[in-house]
Amino acid sequence: MICPRCGCDNVPGLDCCANCLQDLAILDQPLGHDRVESSLLADRVGALKPRRPVTVSITANMRDTVALMIDEKVGAVLVVDADGKLTGIFSERDLLTWVADLPPEKLESHQVSEFMTNAPDTVSPDDTLALALQRMDVGKYRHLPVVEDGRPTGVISVRDLVRHITRLCRE
Amino acid sequence: MELTRNLRHNAVARLKPTPPHSVPPDATIGDAVRLMRSKHVGCLLVCDGKVLVGILTERDVMTRVLAVGRPLSDTVDEVMTAQPRTVCSRDPIRRALARMEKGGYRHLPVVDDGGKPVGILSVKRVVHYLAEHFASAVYNQPPAPRDFPSHRGGA
Repeated sequence: MICPRCGCDNVPGLDCCANCLQDLAILDQPLGHDRVESSLLADRVGALKPRRPVTVSITANMRDTVALMIDEKVGAVLVVDADGKLTGIFSERDLLTWVADLPPEKLESHQVSEFMTNAPDTVSPDDTLALALQRMDVGKYRHLPVVEDGRPTGVISVRDLVRHITRLCRE
Repeated sequence: MELTRNLRHNAVARLKPTPPHSVPPDATIGDAVRLMRSKHVGCLLVCDGKVLVGILTERDVMTRVLAVGRPLSDTVDEVMTAQPRTVCSRDPIRRALARMEKGGYRHLPVVDDGGKPVGILSVKRVVHYLAEHFASAVYNQPPAPRDFPSHRGGA
């Protein structure tokens, strides 16, 4: 690896130049081949303008949770503990799988914590879009909570990401 | 740009839409929910014989059944979305994406030249297609991007 600053020929894989301590990691970082790939590598989750999270307390019952999802027109609500930290997520799919055929009067006696997905995968606002895309693809998620210091600050959906990419293709 | 070109030239069939699961319009909502659950899908086509007449998604179940307290013994045609937008399997991917975005759909029925439903294109397939397109950028991730050790390891 030739140091871009002093021209010293370094052993491949070094973090910094043995001669002048210039940071060499940048030489190994992948570069985008086109506009979309560059955006995936450089742009951060914050750039998607994550939607305000819709949260419920972990002690909430199912009736209130379902009512909130319907009122807010969201496909997933984030479940937070007493300190406001994210502990779970409850989505439309959970609703369909666990709750849809419960009689409506029974909903109150169930808590959201019984049916939610515990400790969901999250991203931080500073993570790259590539990481968010990888999480969504591998986990087959439709929503990813955006978390700072354990507290949810937003949600990005699969559609936000697809829209961002297709827009770059159109311009 | 390569992706732009591929979105224009690749056909929807390239995304391998999932084979459709369908119910007749006179099936009960309860049956539809059970079918969705057993097949792990969020979307069913409502077909009268071989003709597509509607689509029922888990969101419809939430907003039109649970939200209003409708009994699960009602029939599917009362809560489905009738005459959904479709794409042809030979259409370019770009057209499918534009329709999904315009209508805010997560699923689009895919039909053949004769209008017979042959699949369902979900937005997850699109995500997978995009991720594969930028495989090296997307799949090469450090195991925990925020947890770099503060000290060098080793003796």
